[in-house]
Amino acid sequence: MQEEQSLTHRAREGDKEAFAQLYENYFDKIYRYVVLKIGKADAEDVTQQVFIKALQAIASFKWKGIPFSAWLFRIAHNQVVDYFRKEKKVIKVPLNESSSRSDSDPQQMAERSLDIEHLISATRQLTRAQREVLGLRFAGELSIAETAKVMRKSEGAIKALQHSAIVALRKTMSRTGNNEPR
Amino acid sequence: MNRDKELANILNDCLERLLQGETIEQCLQDYPQYAGEIEPLLQTAMAAKKALAIQPGVEFKARARYQFQSVLKEAKPGRGLPFFSWQPHWAPALTIGLALLLAGSGTVAAAGNSMPDSPLYPVKLATEQAQLGLTFSDIGKAKVYVELADKRVAEIAYMVNQGKPKEIEATVQRLNSHLTMIVSLSLVEGAAPGEPPAEEATPRLMQAPAAEVAEAPAPQLAETPAVEPAPEEAAKETPEQAEAKAKLKELLKQNKNIHPAVLRALLDEVPDSARPALLQAIANAEADYQKALEALDDEGDEQGEKRHGEEGD
Repeated sequence: MQEEQSLTHRAREGDKEAFAQLYENYFDKIYRYVVLKIGKADAEDVTQQVFIKALQAIASFKWKGIPFSAWLFRIAHNQVVDYFRKEKKVIKVPLNESSSRSDSDPQQMAERSLDIEHLISATRQLTRAQREVLGLRFAGELSIAETAKVMRKSEGAIKALQHSAIVALRKTMSRTGNNEPR
Repeated sequence: MNRDKELANILNDCLERLLQGETIEQCLQDYPQYAGEIEPLLQTAMAAKKALAIQPGVEFKARARYQFQSVLKEAKPGRGLPFFSWQPHWAPALTIGLALLLAGSGTVAAAGNSMPDSPLYPVKLATEQAQLGLTFSDIGKAKVYVELADKRVAEIAYMVNQGKPKEIEATVQRLNSHLTMIVSLSLVEGAAPGEPPAEEATPRLMQAPAAEVAEAPAPQLAETPAVEPAPEEAAKETPEQAEAKAKLKELLKQNKNIHPAVLRALLDEVPDSARPALLQAIANAEADYQKALEALDDEGDEQGEKRHGEEGD
C-alpha cells in the first residue's frame, strides 16, 4: 500500500514511469472486471479507455482515504456505464434448452468447471450491486475495504452483499443448468 | 451478532484464507457448525474465481501497451498529464497563429460558410480552434463546442445532400468529438462553482491545450469520470457564472431536441457506407446532450452515486 501510495504520488506529479508501473499493476485486473461486466467482445477497447481516463485525471487525484485501486475501479465502473449508454447494448442472457432445468445437483455443479461466458450469463441474473461486488472482489481482486470504498458502502455491507451474491450465483448456476463439464 | 451477519463474516474469512492457499476443509475445521452452509458457497466462489482467471490476449496487451506508452510520451513532466496528450504541443499555437495571420485578409470571412468539401474548410476549422484557444473558462468553451456542434450538423446535412460519404464520416467524427467535449466540460462545470469541485479525478480543462488539429479530429477520449467530491473546497457560483450556465443549458436543450431529429431525417438519403457513422452520431447526440444537461443540473455527488448505480443493462 505504501509503495502504491508513493507510485500514485509520483504519477500525479507527472512521473511517467510511475504511471506506467500502475498501468502494469492493474491492467489485467481491470480487463477481467470489464470482461465480467460487458463480455469479451468490447472489453479491450473499454479497458484502454479506463487507463486513458485515469491518465487524464491523475493530476487531480488526491489520496484522501481513497486508495488508487478504488479510484481506478470507479473509473472502470463509469466506463462500463458509458459503454452501455452509448452503445445502447443489451446483453441478452442465452436461454439454452437446459435453462429451465431445476433438477441440477448444485453439489455436482460446483465441482465442475465453469467457463467465463457462463459466468457472465449467470451474473446477469444477479442484482447490479451483487454483480458489482463479485466483479470487484473476484475479477478486480480488491479487498473488502477497497470494495467498500468503490461502492461507497460499509465493510459489513460489502460482506453481506458478497454473501448474498454468492448464494444467488449458486442458485442461478444450478437453475440454468450450468453444470455441464467443460 | 445475527446469523446472517455471522455467515457473511465466516464466508469472507474462508474466502480470504482460500486465496492465501488454504483448502476449504482447513477453513471449515474452524467452523464445523456452519460447514454445511458454507462449503457449497465456497465451491461456487472458487468456481467463479477460476472462470475469471482469464488473461488479455498477448497481441492486444502488446498493442495496448504501445498505444498507452505513445500517449504517455506526450505528457509534460511535472505538470500532471495533459487533457489532449496525444496531440503535438505546437498544434494549438499553430492553429491560433494561422488564424490570426489570415484574419483581416478576407479569407477567414470567406471560409466561415465553407463546407467540408471546400478548399477553405481547413481555414474554418483553424478559426474555430483559435476561438477555443481564446476562450478561457470551461463554461465558455462548452458553449463554443455547442455552437460548433450545430455547425457540424448543418455540414453533415449538406454533405449527405451532396452524397459524399468520406466527408460525412469525417464531419461525424468531428461532431462526436465536440459532443464528448461538451459532456466533459459540463461535468467539470456541474461539479465546480456552487458544487464541490471534482478534485479527485477531473482535470481543470483550462490548463489543457486548446483543441483538435484541424484535419485530424481528436479521438473520443475526453470524458471525465464521475468522482467523489472534496466538499471543503466548494466555491460559490457568481451571478455571471449562473447566467452563463443557464444559457448553456438552454442551448443544450435546443440541440438535444433538434440535432437527433435532423440527423435521423438524413437516414433515408445517406450513402450506405456512411450510414453506420450517422447512426452512431444520432446515438451520441441523444445520449451526450442528456448527459451534459444532467451534469449541469447541480446534482453534485448524487450524480456520481447515480452513475455508480446505473449500468444500462
